[in-house]
Amino acid sequence: MKTVQKVVNPVKRAGEQSPGKIYNEKLKVRARREWRGVKDTFYDYTRWLYLMSVLGRFIIVPRNIKGFFRYRWMMSYLFVPHGMDKFTVGLRDEALRLAHTSFNFVIADVTQAIANCFRGDRRVGNDKAYSDECVLTDENSMVTFMMGFDTKKVHTILREVPTMFASNIFHQFNVMHYLDIAQQYGIPGDVCPMPEAEAGISIDDDFCVLGRCAVQNNTTCDGSLMGNGIIAKRLEREYGIPTFQLATPLRHKEPDVMDYAAQEIKNAIAFVEEHTGVKWDWDIYFQAAKRVNDATRCRIAQMEINSTPYPQFFGAAFSLYNDTNYMGNSGRNADFVKIDHKLLALAEKGYREKRMYAKEYRHRCIVWGVQPQYVIDMLYWMVQCWGVVPLTDMLSVINTDMIAEEDTPENREQAYRDMAMLNMEMIMRNHTHGGHKVLVEDLWELCEKMNADIVMMWEHMSCKALTGMHGMFEEQARERGIHLMWVSHDLCDPRVFTRQAIRDQVNAYMRTVMREEPLDPSLENIPDNEAY
Amino acid sequence: MRDLKHLQYFEDLLQVANNALITQAREEGKVCVAYTCENVPEPLLNLPGAFSIRLHAPNTGSMDIATYYMTNLLCEPSRALLERAIEGGFNFADCVITPDGCTMINRAVENMELLNTMGKDKPNFFHSYMEIAFKNTENDVNLSVLQCTNHILNPLHEKYGIDVSDEAIRKAVAEHNRLCRVIREIGNFRKEARPRITGYEFHTLCLATYVCPQHLVLDKLEETLEELKTREPDEKQPWRARVLVVGSEVDDGGLIKLIEECGAFVCCDRFCFGSYPGRVEIELNDEEDALTQVCRHYIRNCQCPRMMNQQKVYGRKQYVAELAKEYGADGVIYEQVKFCDPWAYERTLGSAMLKEDYGYPVLSVDRPYNIASSVGQMRTRVQAFVESIEIKAIQRGGRA
Amino acid sequence: MMSKLVKIPLIALAIALGFFVVTFTVYFFNLDMKATALLAPLLEKWYDNLPRKQYI
Repeated sequence: MKTVQKVVNPVKRAGEQSPGKIYNEKLKVRARREWRGVKDTFYDYTRWLYLMSVLGRFIIVPRNIKGFFRYRWMMSYLFVPHGMDKFTVGLRDEALRLAHTSFNFVIADVTQAIANCFRGDRRVGNDKAYSDECVLTDENSMVTFMMGFDTKKVHTILREVPTMFASNIFHQFNVMHYLDIAQQYGIPGDVCPMPEAEAGISIDDDFCVLGRCAVQNNTTCDGSLMGNGIIAKRLEREYGIPTFQLATPLRHKEPDVMDYAAQEIKNAIAFVEEHTGVKWDWDIYFQAAKRVNDATRCRIAQMEINSTPYPQFFGAAFSLYNDTNYMGNSGRNADFVKIDHKLLALAEKGYREKRMYAKEYRHRCIVWGVQPQYVIDMLYWMVQCWGVVPLTDMLSVINTDMIAEEDTPENREQAYRDMAMLNMEMIMRNHTHGGHKVLVEDLWELCEKMNADIVMMWEHMSCKALTGMHGMFEEQARERGIHLMWVSHDLCDPRVFTRQAIRDQVNAYMRTVMREEPLDPSLENIPDNEAY
Repeated sequence: MRDLKHLQYFEDLLQVANNALITQAREEGKVCVAYTCENVPEPLLNLPGAFSIRLHAPNTGSMDIATYYMTNLLCEPSRALLERAIEGGFNFADCVITPDGCTMINRAVENMELLNTMGKDKPNFFHSYMEIAFKNTENDVNLSVLQCTNHILNPLHEKYGIDVSDEAIRKAVAEHNRLCRVIREIGNFRKEARPRITGYEFHTLCLATYVCPQHLVLDKLEETLEELKTREPDEKQPWRARVLVVGSEVDDGGLIKLIEECGAFVCCDRFCFGSYPGRVEIELNDEEDALTQVCRHYIRNCQCPRMMNQQKVYGRKQYVAELAKEYGADGVIYEQVKFCDPWAYERTLGSAMLKEDYGYPVLSVDRPYNIASSVGQMRTRVQAFVESIEIKAIQRGGRA
Repeated sequence: MMSKLVKIPLIALAIALGFFVVTFTVYFFNLDMKATALLAPLLEKWYDNLPRKQYI
């Protein structure tokens, strides 16, 4: 089997040595926050203050209070600071700053998204003029087809992100209600719980209702495509919001799907133009394209740092930030550029100073598959408890090609193809669809490139695209001498696998297969199954 | 009723994937084009010199090896197909055409390919995967034409020298239409108040047209049609209700038989391997090339839930309602093979809309691939459904 | 005049210190989340009782 050189951290971690001790089962939240030494605790405290100010500024708006008491999922946002603690467990120095910088920015972005939803929502803010400027899109949606619209005139509302995706990160139980509703209405319990929960939210009438029109897509999976039919029915028939289905080819590596995909992008743009009355602007598009390329370069640089013995920016914060930037932003918001560069500067500093997340790194790991929302801190736990450093995760392994960014007649036609390519290469589906090569063989290439000796396979049990290659992963990992550690879960339903049940799969593998003892025994069993 | 002369013959053909007619057709020198999804335009696989076989795995028992490769969370048809392929049950195929229709079947075939389950002694053997349309627009027709050209016609021509000209396609469509006409005419007997054919008998005949070389079953089907024209239905009918079965793939006559044993006459079939929409004639004109027209026909008629635009989403329910009306169904059974994502949602939305928008009683069930493994549960569900239809009829003052 | 110039910064400092002590206590002992955890069950009841137009 492949082995890698162990890297030992010469610097003792400041402050608390055993963060596993601060959990308290009865309280459902931590007994206290982590002591990280004076400097880092103070920094963490100031970031907490910042978060509280973001939440405070949000809730003092009367319509947001009204929305809070109207929508069940809003309860999750009371637990944002608790969520922040998950993203920073055991972190110090640059790692702590990377997590805060990225995550706080995402929080501010999501908070703004909720505020926008409430402003236009017919039940809450009922700002009709604003609502008429809004275009709804899916949670798993590349918004490339909005890159050329003036963001002051047309607002892209990823309605499902604050409602389902983000809220589940802060409150592990919040999705269960919607799953129960969906199943009560006949959707089986064996489909992916994410689109099922979204359909449940629609059935439960718990989505904000706004927008001039909506664009749905098939970017993730069969379940996501199908759940949209249920959501669109209510949007169109009850609320009179026309929906467009943006079809994105599955076999995205085949050149003969490109014309179709590009035409679909054109059709989506024409649909938005028709319903909003706002015209596509090539200047705006190419500015956004420049930002997309800039973000790509930053991401490549981060990945290069992660392929060294001192990886810096990884785990939930890296993944979530990439999700937001690549998919939800797609170059439209210039603020992301500043954050990208700030994050890169922090990572470079951490690399120069050989900062580490744990006492030692015993294994270099590629995380593959789809992570469960309710154990978002898992990868930080893994490095600190077992010294398995997650170099990158599947959701962060995305496009590295540059797109056309100069406004020329040829590039305008190329732009449709670029948007189509980005759309097809959306997070997750760029590996889960398009044939076995992008899912299985590409993993081994990545292991080679990043010098990984272990693959942690998130086996999201309802994700048929992934589990359909289970045996092939097993056989090919064996042939290549790569350790393959399966960790099963059900994405956002903690009733199927609790947090500890998920961690126990790693514990069992490390003890029985690798014959190792934990770096931090306080983390091996954490009483947080009932915690929010 | 008197037994149909060839029913036993067709039943025997359905007992194994590698049936005697496939061997016969291959001995004639024809190329066996295996496929896995109703979204593949069948006439393109039945060009002169080739014949199509839709893969199925009758009498599936253990799926242990396939379950290792794909876990027990994938739908049973996908695992059953893989298991059968690993066992060598599909060695008759000279190529496999797989559209990326649903993820699970696609993964099943990818596993078959990676495990080299087929084509070991066939130098020209190939696997071909194709993108299929999501909507019913001209952009989708263009996609379909390109995909069929690149992933069906070109490899068939290059590897096996199959004539893929417009003339050849038109000839294949003519043969296809001849088959469809026979099946349609046989199926129309189910509209009768005292039907002279059971749903099970019809399903057996129809299924044979998918899993056997079509040119070798046509004569017996035509003979059966003639036989049916004079067949006398029983005076006393055993049926307590007429139902339309809608859903994912049914390549197991046992399901239809079970439903009918519960007193529900299956008057119409709208499922994969069924006659709607798979056995609807393709109309060709002389103005446009045949390939484009075939592709357009499949896109317009496709009732697969993966077609995602709302016109198709609502259209599928309307299509079911129209069939129910045409065939005089008292109720609709929406069935789904367990773990099938597309039909999980389609069944939910379809059963709600058929009930609320069109007023039909609906039974919504999931089921195993091989119904023999869950007879009791399904029988209870269908019996209860039949009783509920009867009760509703009594409440309306009709017959029980 | 001088005493005022001294007083104002002192008051400001005292306010800042008070703010820091209170907020840091809340922060470190996770009082914000503990209070939220107590509130959550009540909110769930509230949401359960809201009338909804539930259908597919």
